[in-house]
Amino acid sequence: MASLDLEGRRVPFEDGDTVASALFRAGVRTFNRSLKHHRRRGLYCLTGDCPNCLCTVDGEPGTRVCTTEARDGMRVRRETGRPSVEADALSVTKLAGPLMPVGFYSKTFIRPRVAWETAERVIRRATGIGTLRTDDAPRSVPVRNVLTDVLVIGGGIAGLAAALAAAERGERVLVADEGRVGGLLAPGPARERLQALSAEAGGHDRIVLLEHHVAVGIYEGPMVPVAGRDELLRVHPGRVVVATGAIETHGVFGGNDLPGVWLGRGAARMAGAHGLRPGERAVVVAHTEEAFEHVATLRRSGVEIAAIVAPSALAGSAPGGARVVRDGRVVAAEGSKGVRAVVISAGGARERVECDTLVLSLGLTPRDALLRMAAEEPVGGAGDVAWPGCSLVEAEESGRAAGRGEPVERRPLGGVVVGGRGTVCLCEDVSIGDLRDAWAEGWRSAELLKRYTTTTMGPCQGAMCGRVFASFAAANAAAPRAGGRPTARPPARTVPLEVLAAGVHETGTKRTSLHERHLQMGAHMDRSGSWIRPYRYGDWREDHRAVRERVGVMDVGTLGKFFVAGRDAPALVDRVFPCDVEHLEPGRSRYLIVLDEAGYAMDDGLLCANADGTYTITSTSGGSDRMESALRDRIDRWRLHVHLLNQTAMLGAVNVAGPLARDLLERLTHDPVDRDAIPYPGHGRITVAGVPCHAIRSGFVGELSFELHHSRSRGVELWDSLLAAGEDLGIRPHGLDALDVLRLEKGHPFLAQDTLPDDHPTKLGLDWAVDMTKPAFVGKVALERMAAFPLERKLVGLEFDARPQRGAPLYASARVVGRVTSCAVSPALGSPIGLGWLRTVDGAFPERVQAGSVMATVVPRPFYDPEGARVRA
Amino acid sequence: MGLMIVCPHCGTREYTEFTFGGELRQLDAPDPEADFRRVYLRENAPGPQTERWFHAYGCRRWLTLVRDTERNVIVDGEP
Repeated sequence: MASLDLEGRRVPFEDGDTVASALFRAGVRTFNRSLKHHRRRGLYCLTGDCPNCLCTVDGEPGTRVCTTEARDGMRVRRETGRPSVEADALSVTKLAGPLMPVGFYSKTFIRPRVAWETAERVIRRATGIGTLRTDDAPRSVPVRNVLTDVLVIGGGIAGLAAALAAAERGERVLVADEGRVGGLLAPGPARERLQALSAEAGGHDRIVLLEHHVAVGIYEGPMVPVAGRDELLRVHPGRVVVATGAIETHGVFGGNDLPGVWLGRGAARMAGAHGLRPGERAVVVAHTEEAFEHVATLRRSGVEIAAIVAPSALAGSAPGGARVVRDGRVVAAEGSKGVRAVVISAGGARERVECDTLVLSLGLTPRDALLRMAAEEPVGGAGDVAWPGCSLVEAEESGRAAGRGEPVERRPLGGVVVGGRGTVCLCEDVSIGDLRDAWAEGWRSAELLKRYTTTTMGPCQGAMCGRVFASFAAANAAAPRAGGRPTARPPARTVPLEVLAAGVHETGTKRTSLHERHLQMGAHMDRSGSWIRPYRYGDWREDHRAVRERVGVMDVGTLGKFFVAGRDAPALVDRVFPCDVEHLEPGRSRYLIVLDEAGYAMDDGLLCANADGTYTITSTSGGSDRMESALRDRIDRWRLHVHLLNQTAMLGAVNVAGPLARDLLERLTHDPVDRDAIPYPGHGRITVAGVPCHAIRSGFVGELSFELHHSRSRGVELWDSLLAAGEDLGIRPHGLDALDVLRLEKGHPFLAQDTLPDDHPTKLGLDWAVDMTKPAFVGKVALERMAAFPLERKLVGLEFDARPQRGAPLYASARVVGRVTSCAVSPALGSPIGLGWLRTVDGAFPERVQAGSVMATVVPRPFYDPEGARVRA
Repeated sequence: MGLMIVCPHCGTREYTEFTFGGELRQLDAPDPEADFRRVYLRENAPGPQTERWFHAYGCRRWLTLVRDTERNVIVDGEP
């Protein structure tokens, strides 16, 4: 027989059991301990609303076991008692109570300060609902966008009626139910009707029924996140029907949270759906006609009804065979481990009735958090949520109306009677006395009272206590605004954080075609923007030395790569980019600083003119998306005849750099690669080791270098050939660590690392890359405007006396005048160098500044090979 | 949260697939003063506003759309 494990004890269960019913059958009555006072808590609502059955199931704390279907081998733990939930020392010694009065965070252990540190440890250990596992691997939960005409939340009678009515009008309907449709209803007319509707809806081709899917909230749009077990749906419906039903109203009186006190529908569900007697002898408080059905259900399961407490108006229709107390009120439930007796006050007299079960049917409270979140959206309610306590016929009627898109006017709710004692908020363990104390302390509006006492802020989000709380505030408040219910916010139901976080990490990571090769070669890999890239292969200084002295290769497949063709291709590049395009000969290229409309540097790269009037553009690895959208914007708005192809993902690229780069290529190609064939700055088409390449001379690392762009599918082949052919030349691959120093020695800024969002070319020392004589380019007017202002900040080269920290502030005469953006001890120069921002002091740029604790001298860039002879080689 | 955009190439998609390109503005201005206003100043008025959206996770095309900024819904699509 299937069984689950309760703290090492084997608990068998039957078909249709929830974890709660299985445990209840096995004799478990205490399911957890209350948050602060460690009072015993037993099953109460059985509908997934209250916090009384929160246990840890298969490592997941805070699971409502009353709506969790039992599965073989499930491991259930009650984690809220010390040492155990059945024998809780904190409850016996009444330690926890005085430690945590209402608002304790604000008033206990304030002085001396050290007291709080100890107290906090004790409090933290004493409270909480379980231990979160931190050792399990994060689960990746997929996200799906779902379009539908109508979303129905809740697969009860009203919800299914709404779904059918909408589907009959030709609309597509999605029905989300948090459990199984009709799964836990006691036998009776409601279950029969629900089964009929469910069969009809299940066979309808325009209705999709999603079970075990919880609506988390309703957002503008409307957009409704719906959490499944293994997915998160972002549902975009034309309109929403909320048919989430109602909960029986929470009763507040002394002992109202003892095990053995049940909400009517909960007791009926235990007796009717699970066939288990909630107790032997029950007092039933009947303020609704539905309560009399509960009486019948309880009797069928063998419960003796000791008394029915009902208002006079209903008393007449109470079923026979039990004493009826007219207009009575429960004053207290007595007992320690569970209910032993109930004290009823009626007509001025009090009487004590011995029983082990108290069933409350005090009226219905709509489960309306979702409705209250969505005041301005096309969202309507149907069934109990709109008309609490409505009949089956009314539920279906309201559902059909809502399904047709007709408004269902909500019936007004009255206040609820609040007793003199008892627990208001079951989750946060707040009593009516606590609310009175807080009110006396001056927290005199519902919103303030809520925040101070944390009432309504627990796992049930005010589902049980919200109306009681609002009634308390309304009864005490002088101004109407101070009463009322606190704002409803998502999540309306408890959802695991991993489901809410679904999709957050979906930006994902990109890999170049050489990824596996880097791993095989022992590269240290890490993120760089959205890419995973090699940083070093062993010691970066060795990687660096290969480039400066011999030859090195680097995977630069991450660079943005664009192909621009079409009749207006020259017009596009000329009108967008600030460099001289008119005189750019085919086979030649130019450094490209890309400006935005404000004249600020957005990206940089190379512009290559091809022989057939097309262009090849490269951009930085992180800038390719922006480059593409900026170019497409202009193509579109200028109505140019241009084909722009983003080849970033299609092409791989390897940079071959170093004094022996040409020697290496000559071993692998029959095409000329001398300085006349492929000059600097220029490019050409060559075949390297059988792989067709677009070879682009580049100057970033400061040596003779060829960027070989090739078809991604042939990257490994090319990489292997280069390394094999260069073995006797001392070739080495290098990563971003060596690159960072190589380009720093040349004084080249890394865009975004060394630059700020408002850098125009002058601030970067890149005036030479801008042709102000051109009639127009993007950002030109802005540059002209800014030229009228004196330069107050610029990027400078720095030589340090000792290596500072990157990001160190620059001081001149005890004033902060800048910041170090890059620095390294240069292997080529043997001294610490860097780049940094510098501001003017009294109209002039300082020559010598303090960088953190070391001194720095402003020097011209580049540091290495200032004439550029090595690049042009 | 739930803004939906009807892309003429891809169909109805959530706004998270798009990059916001701001209010539709002139591409050029005759003088520095007008250029300053064009680059830096926005209408940001309540009601219908013509905007540019780039379908970054779809067709990678720009769309010009009219969005009601009070209700956050697209009220007019590509002409």
